[in-house]
Amino acid sequence: MWNFIKWEVLQFIGNKKNQAVYIILLLLSLYYAVAVAPNYEPIEKVSRDEMQAAYDTREAFLESVEGRDQLYPLVEYAKFLFPDWNKLELQRVNALDEQDLAAYASATEDWYEFSNQTIYSSGDLFYYNPLYYTYGNRFAKDDGFYGYGYTASRFQDYTEGEHKLSYELFEERTAIQTLQRLLSDFLPFVILISSVVLTADIVLKDRRNPSLVKGFPLADWKRMFGKGIVAIVGSIAALFPLGAGLVLIGLREGFGDFMLGVPIYNTAMSIFNPGPELFTRIPMWEFLLLNLAFLTLWFVALVAVIILLSITVRLEFINIAVGLAIIFAEFLYFERAVSPFTDAYWYPTSYIQVGQVISGTRDFLYASQLFTMERGMLLVAGSAAVCILIILLITTNKRFSYTK
Amino acid sequence: MLELKQIGMQFQEKRVLDDISITFESGQIIGLVAPNGTGKSTLMNVIMNYLSPKQGQVIVGGALKYTSKPNEVKIHQVMSMMPDQNELYNHVSGKNHMKIYQTMWNSRPELIEDTITKLGMASYVKKKTGTYSLGMRQRLCFAMQIVSDTKIMLMDEVMNGLDPTHVEMISQILVEKKREGKTVIIASHLLENLEQYADKIYFFKNGKLHLADDLAPGFSAETVTTIRLPKVTAEETAKIAAKFPELAMQKLPNDTILIDIQQQTDEQITALVSFLVASHISDFHFGKVSLHDLYSMEYQ
Repeated sequence: MWNFIKWEVLQFIGNKKNQAVYIILLLLSLYYAVAVAPNYEPIEKVSRDEMQAAYDTREAFLESVEGRDQLYPLVEYAKFLFPDWNKLELQRVNALDEQDLAAYASATEDWYEFSNQTIYSSGDLFYYNPLYYTYGNRFAKDDGFYGYGYTASRFQDYTEGEHKLSYELFEERTAIQTLQRLLSDFLPFVILISSVVLTADIVLKDRRNPSLVKGFPLADWKRMFGKGIVAIVGSIAALFPLGAGLVLIGLREGFGDFMLGVPIYNTAMSIFNPGPELFTRIPMWEFLLLNLAFLTLWFVALVAVIILLSITVRLEFINIAVGLAIIFAEFLYFERAVSPFTDAYWYPTSYIQVGQVISGTRDFLYASQLFTMERGMLLVAGSAAVCILIILLITTNKRFSYTK
Repeated sequence: MLELKQIGMQFQEKRVLDDISITFESGQIIGLVAPNGTGKSTLMNVIMNYLSPKQGQVIVGGALKYTSKPNEVKIHQVMSMMPDQNELYNHVSGKNHMKIYQTMWNSRPELIEDTITKLGMASYVKKKTGTYSLGMRQRLCFAMQIVSDTKIMLMDEVMNGLDPTHVEMISQILVEKKREGKTVIIASHLLENLEQYADKIYFFKNGKLHLADDLAPGFSAETVTTIRLPKVTAEETAKIAAKFPELAMQKLPNDTILIDIQQQTDEQITALVSFLVASHISDFHFGKVSLHDLYSMEYQ
């Protein structure tokens, strides 16, 4: 068995298509590091000018209403709030002027908590950062609410933790934070597509060399198992070329550290009850490890599906088509905030974006408490187990031959 | 020991294997002779269970049958078939091809170097097989099967693309394997070579296997059985037949006449020779029916 796996590894490495996949991933990663990452514009930037402008606007407002009575209730309300808001704003500005990053982190945490509570409960009186309101976003206020809560939690961690603070850290530009952001963005798609392409021919390639392998004294189910192991390890190895880009980013922006807190959306909390408890945090290493575990589970499931198709349908094109269909299926039914009207939380395909599932963003987007990591992992593992069982049943049939 | 029991195989209307029952003993080289497309490869594929016969059973070692997947694995542990040279992995070296066969069958590792030396492959065996010539690929396929070191070896057209030197090299290794007690079944068109090394030769015809000795009694014997007349006219043939009506004469497609003298007395043979000389037929030879003769008789 071990010898067969070694042989398959040799085939896998020598396969030109696989080599191309790794090279493309490496180039993509370098392109991202050189051309895309430097242009990253976070919504929650460290911008003294913006803070000063906001401060000045509120100050001007306060001066304009100073000494006036019988004000319109909403104006009165603003007059009541703005001094506290500006006090926090001024603390942030002063901290930046003094280059006191710890003070800036502490003030920023307070500012985001205060702002979030104020804006979300103010009806249409106050607005979040305008960048949440782009492209006709119907859920801008919710996104702002999530974004401010997330940022508050992040800055709480910077205040309480023992991290090397920097502007890059505050804007999530360090290598590890970039990885964290991408895991909640398009990276799972890239990784899982790579896995599908790497695996598509792992069984069917033997149909080109049947006389070489057919007679091996090894049971077909063991061969499938061996091929599956190689495909999964090969898929995990696809993460390494991506690491090259992260190293480049790390050299430029700093690497960050594995103890950084990653905010996890607390699904049990009501969206109408903003506050620091809306997000809990887990260490970065745990977040990355959970992502790796979930992605590995997906590799197992995708590899199992592709092997099953390879011994039944036996068309490489179908392997790729079905693999991609699984990865992108959620786009067919995804709709925001439809939790009461959907059973999508029972579909394994709703858990492709592993970073978002782990961080609770998926729950937030569906306005649900049901798209949990645990449920996702169980569904994906269950699907993989069913496929593996069917593979076992087929390959132990005495009439079966996968090279026909 | 390999036993075939009532093996039958049919492709649409064509019956390729017709109720074949035969036993191949250990320590023998078995030759299978037939034109292309008559069923040799089908038979080998059935023996390996790459094709399931419509009827019959393959029995290995007296008891093992293809009744389950675990049994198939057990059988393949003791029986292998030479790979097709067109199916080598071009990006993998010859030595790595041999290594996988050695490791998959868990045979002695030193067999690799030993076989490389015997087949004169040292100069190229570490190169990728994509750079190999036809003969080099063929030798590699043979070497792969040799390092698998199974008790039963099936080889389809093992001598294809080989020059006489390498044919002889491979033949010597086959004889060695036979001495080790292995059963080697070879389908080949190199008739002289088969005739020289095979212990038994079977002809494939109409889906059945015919032992050469049954087709030409005394084929394997070391005695003179035949007078061969390669250049006789029809008139001369008629004269011989008229003079010796009791003689069994056979005309081959190349106009050679074979006279069976196994049942003839010394006096009768002397009379025949005297007649040939008196008739100015000087080109005749005493000997046996060759494999070429039999092939001509059966297939041309």
